[in-house]
Amino acid sequence: MTKIAIAESSSMLRIGLEQLLRELPDAEVVFSTDNLNALYSRINALHPDILIVNPLLFDYTKRATIRAEFDQLPNLRIIGLITAYIESQHQRQFAGIIELNDDFQRIKSTLNQVSNTLQTDNEDPDTAPLSDREKDVLICLSKGLKNNEIADQLNISVHTVITHRKNIVRKTGIKSVAALTVYAILNNLIEEKDII
Amino acid sequence: MSNLSDFSSQLSPKMKMADAINQYHSLLTVLPRLGIPLGFGEKSIGQLCAEHRVSEPLFMLISRVYCQDDYFPTANELQQCPMADILQYLVSSHKDYLENKLPHIEHHLNILLEPMDKKYSTLISNFYAEFRKEMEKHFQYEEEVIFPYLRQILSEQEATESATYQKNTFHQQHDDIEDTLNDLSNLLLKYIPAEVSPAERVDMLLDMYALSNDIAKHAMMENRILVPYIQLLESKRHD
Repeated sequence: MTKIAIAESSSMLRIGLEQLLRELPDAEVVFSTDNLNALYSRINALHPDILIVNPLLFDYTKRATIRAEFDQLPNLRIIGLITAYIESQHQRQFAGIIELNDDFQRIKSTLNQVSNTLQTDNEDPDTAPLSDREKDVLICLSKGLKNNEIADQLNISVHTVITHRKNIVRKTGIKSVAALTVYAILNNLIEEKDII
Repeated sequence: MSNLSDFSSQLSPKMKMADAINQYHSLLTVLPRLGIPLGFGEKSIGQLCAEHRVSEPLFMLISRVYCQDDYFPTANELQQCPMADILQYLVSSHKDYLENKLPHIEHHLNILLEPMDKKYSTLISNFYAEFRKEMEKHFQYEEEVIFPYLRQILSEQEATESATYQKNTFHQQHDDIEDTLNDLSNLLLKYIPAEVSPAERVDMLLDMYALSNDIAKHAMMENRILVPYIQLLESKRHD
């Protein structure tokens, strides 16, 4: 069963899409929302396999890096729901595209294509080394930055910073910032002189 | 879990001390704190308690905390134990940590860090020093603030501070100490290069796991025995 989440501000569109997806036997819509805050908090709790999201929900400056917003969920596949003109370079980050006037057949095949990529790389995130983004967060932490400062610096939301931090703790088994700093230096992520 | 509760039913003052310890090695750290030396032959727990003037209910209480993860004492079991004895045991545990356990770990740590690049080894020994300070501060706080407060309730004088506040601080500080110890063992286990003092490292980690286990039990003594005891005494006073 493929778990799908939908983030779209138009309720007409959202409910319509949900209705369509309900006809698919091996897919389940685990939640749908019209705003980013709910998206961030529920996506971490419900772990959908696929997120169908309208890039217009994001601020223009973040639209190119939507994939990076969900770095902490490496197995999540994101489909762009395109309802207005979006630059093609912004579309390339998505695993698939659903357009406003796609027919059901087309939507189904997009979803199939994307969910096929799900089974192929099923890495265990627990034994994976820290991702580049997690390393970035770790470096900021070691420098004494707070969550909101890290969010600003890396251009991601505070939610995402928190999820990265959880993953860092889960993977390394290290909780305190002091010990994480030792970890960062031992692994040559930062120099000792960078710490305040 | 089932064999643990079997044990607790057979764990009685009549049980041979040697049998208890052979089954539950961690009890071994408890004996010196109560002043019971080894070499006791076939004597039972009860005989040894009498011989060394250790309160038998206290010994049973501590043993159950050490051997049974889900043990919560009943009000009755608590009341059989003089609070002063519990406090004395806790204080001698603190002393044992600071005078024996930590220096032992430090000894391993110094040998272990010796061949490492100075910039890394200083880092780890600083982290350790911080941990040690944290522990000393916590023990000091208990011995200078909390325990005197308890003795004050015991002597039924007017208490000055709220115990609820202290209960929360209690929990938080114990969690912090256990977390730091856990962080340190993970650093040593996972992230120091393989070639650095392999044998010393195993010894050090075994010591740290033993200490961590003992501190967890120590925390349980305070959270599950001392705190309910305070509440019991306070509720009596309000009656």
